[in-house]
This record gives sequence, structure tokens and C-alpha cells, in this order.
Amino acid sequence: MISVKNLVKTYLGEVPTYALKGVSLEVAAGEFVALMGRSGSGKSTFLHQLGLLDTPTEGEVTIDSVDVLKLSETERTRFRLEHLGYVFQEYALIAEFTALENVYFPAMALGEGEAKDRAAHLLDLVDLGSRLHHQPHEMSGGEQQRVAIARSLINNPKVLFADEPTANLDTESSATVFQLFQKLNRDLNQTILVVTHEPEDKQYVDRVVWMRDGVIES
Amino acid sequence: MTSTDIKAAFFIAYKTISKGHKSTLALIVFILSLSFFNLMFVSGFLSGFSDGIIRSMVETTTAHLAVLPQEEPIKKEYIIDQASVRAGIETIPGIVATAAHYQLGGSFAYDKEKDGVFTYVSAPIIAVNQTEEKAVLNIADHMVSGEFPDTLQKDEIILGANLAGGFGTEQTTDLGGVVVGDTVAVVYGNGVSRTYTVRGIFRVTIGGIGGTAFVSVKEAEAILSTFNTASEIMVKADLTKYTLDEYAARIESLYPELVVEKYTTRLSTVGILVAAFNIIALIVSVISIIVAAITIFVMIYVNAVSKRRQIGILKAIGIKESIIELSYVIQSIFYASLAVFFGMLLVFFAVIPFLDARPIMMPYGEATLVFTTVGIIINIVSLLVSGLLAGFVPAKMVARENILTSIWG
Repeated sequence: MISVKNLVKTYLGEVPTYALKGVSLEVAAGEFVALMGRSGSGKSTFLHQLGLLDTPTEGEVTIDSVDVLKLSETERTRFRLEHLGYVFQEYALIAEFTALENVYFPAMALGEGEAKDRAAHLLDLVDLGSRLHHQPHEMSGGEQQRVAIARSLINNPKVLFADEPTANLDTESSATVFQLFQKLNRDLNQTILVVTHEPEDKQYVDRVVWMRDGVIES
Repeated sequence: MTSTDIKAAFFIAYKTISKGHKSTLALIVFILSLSFFNLMFVSGFLSGFSDGIIRSMVETTTAHLAVLPQEEPIKKEYIIDQASVRAGIETIPGIVATAAHYQLGGSFAYDKEKDGVFTYVSAPIIAVNQTEEKAVLNIADHMVSGEFPDTLQKDEIILGANLAGGFGTEQTTDLGGVVVGDTVAVVYGNGVSRTYTVRGIFRVTIGGIGGTAFVSVKEAEAILSTFNTASEIMVKADLTKYTLDEYAARIESLYPELVVEKYTTRLSTVGILVAAFNIIALIVSVISIIVAAITIFVMIYVNAVSKRRQIGILKAIGIKESIIELSYVIQSIFYASLAVFFGMLLVFFAVIPFLDARPIMMPYGEATLVFTTVGIIINIVSLLVSGLLAGFVPAKMVARENILTSIWG
């Protein structure tokens, strides 16, 4: 599903920062992979390159047989909307939208007519069927993160990227989120790549990729 | 941009407005309403000023059109058989009335204290048939003393306040305070001398008519030894039916030997004043539009910057920059539309009724706000277009930021 070859990311400046130093990785379809490592190891930077949120300095990234680094900016935006899902650390919901609107909006932007029903179904799936019309500020952090997960699934993404999705959650909510990821992975065969620094999260994933100083540890 | 994109942009804009802070919305609309009110009021007031001056000139001095004697191939002093010419002009549809004038000039002598010390002033004298004249010009409505009777006798004269003196601003060349019933002596340009009893004094401050005197047509014909001629024929027309140019063309086609002048060419220094006011009105309008545009720009920019993270999230999940930009443009047009609505309410349901109830007196009469449909449309379109641009530019500036910078700073 994902093939990464020799990915390099260098932030230029007076003192260049070598965030990724030639990273290669293969992720199979339906695999649930955790990227782990210390703070500053490059795991979030790596995820951002794969999720097309940033552009690497060198290397190749293929997602579902598409060489995504050759896409134009417009094509990348469209690719993100159609094929990728995101869950961020800080919930990242639109404050003025209800839970239901936050979930169905990406589908609406794709022009899909039955998005509301599917969004309601996804919110039901993440156990928020009773909070459809609540706004983010009316929900707990764990609930908001589950709304974000439901949103990430609305367009049936090929890959779901999650960047430290439980960093701001308590232990119970964190477990709920990872159990949800596990369920999505098993039931929907959803490919998931998650960045986390909590060792106990290893129990939920198929594979852990350890990073250190911009490279994958063998 | 597809219909789906537009729908998505409208959705973002709608939710941002409807679920955003109501106090912020109220403040934005309040400030923009004042900007639009400023635009409308200043342009309307200056237009009213120009309009009032022109109206005063047309009603007291120039009429809509003046028909003058033949100039080519031979210059003539008078229009011959003026009654027939006027009758011909009055057959033109839309012509309201005509009046014949004799233009004379003379030297006035006035002994205020009856002590043999005279004040001498030269002034133009217009001879009119007041029965006809009042259908075209309304000097009779500006009397400050005495009257302007329909049957002005041969030995009676009407003086402008600037010529009589003693009414308002002191003139360097007035007679020093003539009152109704006094006697003034006039020596005409052709040497004829007459003595008149002052029957009325009128006051018009716009243009030079206030320094003029009026006598009867019969008196002028006796002095000039002429009959049924005229120095000029003043024409009042209904400008809602045809344009000034169309009336002028119709008269010229009927009397090609005569010269037709529109009031717009007879405004002289008043015309220069009006032109200056129109330029000032234009400058003030442009400045008001720029101020309104900057206001919208700042507000949309602050709004967009405060929502940088949200914009970053939208871009991250695959929403096109153009959708985000359009959503901000829709918001700014919405703010501008509300500003137009409330600004119009303020002008038409507060300021105009206030000016009606407590009018401000100007030299030409009561100050009024004058708006044309085209002018109002230009003001509205100007604000909406400036809102569109002032909404688009800051949205573009924020939306083009790197996704990660937008979300995490």
C-alpha cells in the first residue's frame, strides 16, 4: 500500500536540520503500523511527508501505486481528500460545525449526496450516535478525537494517518481511541499509520517501526 | 471551480457567520454601515448642494433654455416677432412655458437722505411681462419687501437686494438701502432718463440676479422704441419627458436662425463652483470607498488570521484553497450587504426625515440629500466590489500558508 524509498527531509536555514536521513519503509494494505521513537526522532515529520502535508527534500513515496511526489499541488489536495484520512493530536475539528457536519463536510466537498447518512453511521460506529448535533466545545477531548476519527473515514481512505492522537487524552480515552483504531483495522481492513510515544500502545498494532535521529532503527 | 466547491464554500461561510461570535458580527456590520453611511451622506449632501445651486439658478436666472437673436450671417439685436416665436416653441411637446426678456443696462441714482447727495450704481435691467415671467422664473417668490405684481406699471421698478442694499451682505456697489416706495432715477445706455418708484425688493444670493432690476416690457419697448421683440426668450421644459439636448434640437430645427443656449452653458462662475463640488464629491466618495475597503480588509484579515489553524485543518483534509478563499469572500460580501442595508436605513429613515423636520438653511434654500438611482447603485456596487477584493486578498494571504505552519504555527 505504501512504499517509501530513501526519504530525506532537510530544513534549510543558517544551521540546516536533517529531520529525515534516507528513510525507506513498506506498509502492506490492511496493516496497522505504529511509528515510535523519542521526541525529535523524526516520526511526525515522516508521517507528514507520507500524508502529503509536507514535501520531502529527496526520495520516493508511492501510495496505492501512485507516485504521490509527482502530483501537482492541486492533485495532492485532491488525493488527500479522496484517498487519505487524518487524525491530529489536537482534535482539529472545525469549531463552528456540529459533530455531524465535521464528519460529512469532506464528503460534501467531494460532491457526495448521501454523506449525512454515512456520517451519522460513522459517528454511531465511534459510539457518538447521540452527539450528532453537538459542537466541539460541548464534547470532551476523547469525544472530539472520536469525531475526528469518524471524519477521517468518511471518504473511505486507503490510508489513515494519526499523529499522536492520544497525546492530549487521559488513559481511558486513549485506550478507547486505540481500541477503535484496532476495530477499524480488523473490521474494515483499514490501513493505519499512527505516531505514538506510549509503549503500551504497542499491544494494539501489527508492527512497530522505531525511529531515532531521522532514521529507522533496525 | 465547480458547483460542489461553491456549495462547500457557502457552507463554511454560513456556519462561520451563524455560529461565530455575534458581537464580532455586530461590530463589523456597525463599522461598515457607518462607512457606507459616510459614503452616501457626503456624496448625497454635496450632490444636494450642487443640485440646489443649479435649481436656484434655473428657477431665478437661466430657465432651462434661452433663445437668443440671430448671430449668423448678420448679428441682430432682437428676436423679431417674439410672440410668434414663443407660440412656435410652446407647440413642442414637453415645453411648459416661455417668457420674453429685454436686456437693458443703466445707471441708477438714489438720494437716500433727500439731501441732494446721490449714490450712483450701474446695473443690468431686465424687462419682463410678469404674467408670463412667473410661469418660467420665480423671482416673485423671493420678495423680501413689497411685491412683484403681474401688472407692473411703467413707472415702477423691482430691485434686487444686492442692488438696493440693506438686505444681508453689504455689497461694494449698492444703492445704500433703498426701501419700497422710494424713488430711484435711471439713465439707460441709450441716454433715456426715467424715474421709478420701487415696488418691491427681492433677494437671491446664488448667481448675479440679485444685483439686477426689473421693469415692465411696455416700459422697455418705450425706451428702446421697439415692439414685440425680445433680447432673449426664456424656456421652461419638462425634463422628465425629454432631455435638454432634445429640446434644444427641436427649437433649433424650428428656428435655425436663432441661437439656443442650455442652462448648463449659462451657469458661469456658479458652474465652476458646481463642477468643483462634483469633483470634491467624487474624491470624498473614492476616499470613503477606500476606507470601507481597508476596514473590510483588516476585519477579514484578523478573522482569517484568528482561524489560521482551522484553515490549515481544512487544507490538510483536502479542502481546496479556492473553496476557503471563496468562503471568506462570501463572508465579506455578506458583511458589506448588511452594511448597505443598515446604511440605507440610516440615510432614508433617519437622516432624511431629520433634515425634513429640522432643515439646514443654505444660500439656495433648505439643504437636502440628493440621490440618483445610478448614484446609489454605484455606491452599493463600489462597496460590494471593495468588499469582494478586501475579503479575497487577506483570505488568499492566509490560505496560501504552508499547512503545517497554519496548524502548528
